[in-house]
Amino acid sequence: MTQFTISPPPHRRSKVSVKNLMYGRIMALLIVGIASFTLFGAPAIVNILAAIIGAVGIEFVIQTAFKQKLTIADGNAIYLGLLLALICPPTLPAWMVFIGGAFAVGVGKHAFGGMGSYMFHPSLAAWVFLSLAWTQDMLPGSVPIASGFSDLLYENGAGFLTDVSPILIILTGLVLIAMKFIEWRIPLSYILTTVVLGLVLGDPLSYIIQGTFLLGVFFIATETATTPVTKNGRIIYGILCGVLTVLYGYFSGNYVWGTLYAILLSNAAAPFIEVKTLPKPLGGVVNE
Amino acid sequence: MSDVIKLDKLPEKVILPLKQHDGIACAPLVKKGEEVIIGQKIGDCEGSDLAYVHSPYCGTVASIEDMPGPGGKRVFSVVLEPTECTASIEFLPEKNAPPSRLMEIIKEAGIVEYYEKPTYLALKPGARIDTLIMNATFPLITRAYLPFLDKVLEGFKLMLEAGGISKGAIVLRADDKESIQAFKNAKFDGKPLTVAPLIGKRHADYYFEDADADIIVLVAGKKTYTPTMMNLLASDVMGRRIPLGYTPSDVHLTVCGVKSAKAVYDAINEGKPYLENAVTVTGAVNAPKSVIVRFGTPVKDVIEACGGYKGEPGKIIINGSMGGVAVYTDEVPIAKNTTGIVVQTKNEVLRDEATECIHCARCVDVCPINLLPGRIAVMADCGMYEKCGEYYALSCIECGECAAVCPAKRHLVQLIRYSKLQLQKMNEAKNAEVTE
Repeated sequence: MTQFTISPPPHRRSKVSVKNLMYGRIMALLIVGIASFTLFGAPAIVNILAAIIGAVGIEFVIQTAFKQKLTIADGNAIYLGLLLALICPPTLPAWMVFIGGAFAVGVGKHAFGGMGSYMFHPSLAAWVFLSLAWTQDMLPGSVPIASGFSDLLYENGAGFLTDVSPILIILTGLVLIAMKFIEWRIPLSYILTTVVLGLVLGDPLSYIIQGTFLLGVFFIATETATTPVTKNGRIIYGILCGVLTVLYGYFSGNYVWGTLYAILLSNAAAPFIEVKTLPKPLGGVVNE
Repeated sequence: MSDVIKLDKLPEKVILPLKQHDGIACAPLVKKGEEVIIGQKIGDCEGSDLAYVHSPYCGTVASIEDMPGPGGKRVFSVVLEPTECTASIEFLPEKNAPPSRLMEIIKEAGIVEYYEKPTYLALKPGARIDTLIMNATFPLITRAYLPFLDKVLEGFKLMLEAGGISKGAIVLRADDKESIQAFKNAKFDGKPLTVAPLIGKRHADYYFEDADADIIVLVAGKKTYTPTMMNLLASDVMGRRIPLGYTPSDVHLTVCGVKSAKAVYDAINEGKPYLENAVTVTGAVNAPKSVIVRFGTPVKDVIEACGGYKGEPGKIIINGSMGGVAVYTDEVPIAKNTTGIVVQTKNEVLRDEATECIHCARCVDVCPINLLPGRIAVMADCGMYEKCGEYYALSCIECGECAAVCPAKRHLVQLIRYSKLQLQKMNEAKNAEVTE
């Protein structure tokens, strides 16, 4: 007699899994990493590897020590390490990036409860940690200014690894949005707010449209665990990111730091935005 | 025309559950060893939510015992050994009967709606009803009944008459071109039917006025309204919002299916009780198609009629892969509430493991009634049921879309259903305290 499986519904699910989502993002960032290798050479690759080893290593240590199931294969630690390396200058010694990667996953992710539970983006938290600990080393060698289209294509004055080719970030970001790996609401509202506010205040776009800003728009701000889940909430979150970016950038002239700090601050506001934008169910609610 | 066949081969045994809808179970009227003929009433019950059971086969009663049912549980059933004889009770057609008599016939025939309610109750729920909606948004089922479209329309009209309902709207899916074409070609009372799309704020009332007809056909979106989506159907088609805790009858609407319309026609114009149904077979079978099956026929025989299993079968799902029940044996019978069978091969069976929620909000984007399924599920998992209520868990229609798109493969539907159950219990306890 044939044996039949019984299980609760639904009996058909989408093929997209957490692993797919993570590796999709990793692939996109690897392309950006390769572009930075062409400009910075070996230090770029060494830093990326150091950050990933730090991130994955601490995840292994923590999960072994606490006898948890090893989740390195889902790619989240690799992704966080890679992202951290991209927002650091190539001149940063590899051991510092290694510590940064370990901080991102060890403190930013696991201290808050692991995957999906962190309230601040772990890579951003690690970036702030590195900036405060080794301020001199974290200053980029040069600040990029996009004076023409060729600078969007290939930026010779890149400060961070990610600044090398802004157009690549836009392209990979758009591909991921088309594949529905990234949700469109946050990038759209973020970029629109920043550009409009920047123009209103009279800051040149060449200061704003930089690799780090675009990485923030497409990859850092869209980190799912640190954003509101409601539809309207995501738009408000994007607007908040944009406003804070311009506020910081307008008064300090540094849109790179502006982007990263704006997203970190918006992370803190995300739960509040979510609670305040709770949607009403279709058909309405009866007040008794 | 659609690929519809009638299953005539006699099965080895016929299992007739005495409870084929979500209501009162019938008591058997026959004893072991007794001869039964086609159309004979074998299950009788008393109460308000009943559907009599009639035998669609001629044969001998082998036993009366608990047998596996299509709902996944064991049900008290009459087991028949069918024979080739074609003896039947006398079918008495009663045309031109008054509405009260029509209702009587519908009740006697044991007709059940697709949402597990007897038709006689659906047509007269106690409140004033002004519009009857026929839910024809199950493309495969609708297509299976296209060859009998005249009878379906006639049955629909009889239902309106029996319930004293003035207007009827038939709802189709926008991407079901074949059915739309068939309804466009159909003539009713010598006149072609009005087929109109539902766009924006133009709801059924607009077309009733515009076409000056009692029965119209509406083409809704690309959505299949499953039994739990009654309120959504009513608000999409009629533009009448139904708040949580109310049913369509509270806004003077009621819903019927294509099958019951055909059954009503058979009951009134041919005098036959509800004996057979179209069942769609899809998935890993050699010739997927719709089959008209008499109740009590085991799933095994239906699948044989569709060319048998393709590859090694791993799962049999009754009533759709989104919300259906996976049964543990292919000997479960087809009952009045069975609409479809999905077969999956061993390789297609899901073996995902649920992981942590990453708050990607995919569930929020697909939810048809604007809930936050992921959040409700997390709180249900922690036992925070009051909080689930604040996030409107009770509005959930359990369509399963959220669980289907979840990349972390979480069991969202089950968690939300559990929180709903707890909330209902808490409400009952609160009400009991108040009355004391």
